[in-house]
Amino acid sequence: MERAKKRLRPSHVVLFVCTILLAVLFIYPIFFALMSAFKSNGDILKDPVALPSSLYLQNFKDLFEQSDFLTAIIHSVFLTVVSELLIICIVPLAAYAIERRKSRLTGFIYTYFLAGMMIPFHLYMFPLFKEMKIFHIFGTMAGPIVCYISGSIAFGTLLYGSFLKGIPLEIEEAAQIDGCTPFQTFWKVTFPLLGPCTASMVILNGLNIWNDYLMPYLALPSGKAKTITVEIAAFVGQYSARWDIVFAGTVISIVPALAIFCMFQKYFVKGITAGAAKG
Amino acid sequence: MKQKKGLDKVTIAFIAPAFIFFTLFIIVPTISSVYYSFTSWDGISPNVKFIGLANYKEIFTSARFGNALKNTVILTVFISICENVMALVLALIVDNVRWGKNAFRSAFYLPVLVSGIVSGFIWKIMYNYNFGTFNTILKNIGLEDARQDWLGNTSLTLIMIGLVLIWKGAGYYMIIYLASLQSVSTDLLEAAQIDGATAIQRFRHITIPMISGAFTINFTLSLINGLKVFDQINVMTDGGPGFTSETLVYLLYKVGFNEGRQGFGTAVGIMLLFIIIILNTLQQKFLRSREVQM
Repeated sequence: MERAKKRLRPSHVVLFVCTILLAVLFIYPIFFALMSAFKSNGDILKDPVALPSSLYLQNFKDLFEQSDFLTAIIHSVFLTVVSELLIICIVPLAAYAIERRKSRLTGFIYTYFLAGMMIPFHLYMFPLFKEMKIFHIFGTMAGPIVCYISGSIAFGTLLYGSFLKGIPLEIEEAAQIDGCTPFQTFWKVTFPLLGPCTASMVILNGLNIWNDYLMPYLALPSGKAKTITVEIAAFVGQYSARWDIVFAGTVISIVPALAIFCMFQKYFVKGITAGAAKG
Repeated sequence: MKQKKGLDKVTIAFIAPAFIFFTLFIIVPTISSVYYSFTSWDGISPNVKFIGLANYKEIFTSARFGNALKNTVILTVFISICENVMALVLALIVDNVRWGKNAFRSAFYLPVLVSGIVSGFIWKIMYNYNFGTFNTILKNIGLEDARQDWLGNTSLTLIMIGLVLIWKGAGYYMIIYLASLQSVSTDLLEAAQIDGATAIQRFRHITIPMISGAFTINFTLSLINGLKVFDQINVMTDGGPGFTSETLVYLLYKVGFNEGRQGFGTAVGIMLLFIIIILNTLQQKFLRSREVQM
């Protein structure tokens, strides 16, 4: 990627300064939310642009006292973790069989999955909830979880499929000759090699689940705390005068995503580009 | 390995769980929604009345659907164009800036991490007339007259919602453009430079054709994502003022859950699916026609 030229030119400095300005514009709204979470409501209203004067934590205290935000956090974590675990158990297996045991039928199933990517959730949500009621999973955590699993299959098969192409068959053949069953071959030999792909999928899916609104809002029992995102949306209506509390909630929603991003940046990039390459 | 033509037990066992989940919770409800779109189902009562094409007739004649379609087209086209221009600019910047490439890439990507609801809330507060960031800044620099009720002004509402989506989405498409820019061969660019091509000529005749695949993909993705926008509208305007920011998805949600007309809502969803299928088909056509040229 080195573009060879080493000499410093004025254009480099100009571009650098413009980039900084643009980056500030992009980060500002997030910075504004983080900053406002540590200001009292009066300070937010008095001067939204000013920095907080001291480390003010009352908003977080109020948030947990005036609402069942703790339950919402537990729900969000539970939904994200359990869905991810099940997705990892289900999706790579299917992608593996489709990619390694090519036949007309597996080809058809692959197309079938990919075609499903086009169907917008909003189209089928009404019949879906009716169906959930028939299975007695409406109003339980299982409802959103089965939907997150189903929703991850198309993208997951695509992502794993493209990574599997780069993994040599010889390793699997050797394992089979050594007496591994197909199941063992996959979990003990191939799956560990798919680590980066799994990381990309877990991260991108996890972000979607963590940030999802409509599904938990509609499918979890009403009258109780649901998930972080749903609680925040509810506060906006309910405590329309207490921005400080809502900002405290937004920080709790944003910070875990930021932390994961900082730790696993390259997997975000890999997942997005691999997904797009196949369109 | 690839010895069998049909399906052996192992293949079935590997694919079955995914197939069952996918069929049960996406395909079955989709097919039933085709049926419900011909009924006057209210979502609660067990008896579903078949009313033929009445929902579709209403779609093509009602002013509310026309308005929602118009809003959807405005919002989607506005977002897609701006998002792609922005994302390409960001990618070019990150690719060419001398210091801190990774830091800048992360900075531009950060908004992608914020949930739709949270981003809508943050911007709603920034747009606030009395206490918002925009009006405070305008006041501080002496442009009091330029202050606006950003979301309440019906000619601005959709654009203001669009800005939030562009801010939140550009970083995602930037990553795709960046990968594509980095695949442009340096040899080719250097050869052109030796032959005397200016930077603009090189960009126009080498870089642009090489990244046009990424452009097609990004444009389609952003159009489809634009059609599905829900969270920001929900938290910022609830489709208002009046019906000015009611899009197809929002109309579907409102008639389905607030007005108990899920049959009609589903019919709106079917229209949405048609639009998405058309967009996807166009994308495939474009990508294929490009492959022939290469």
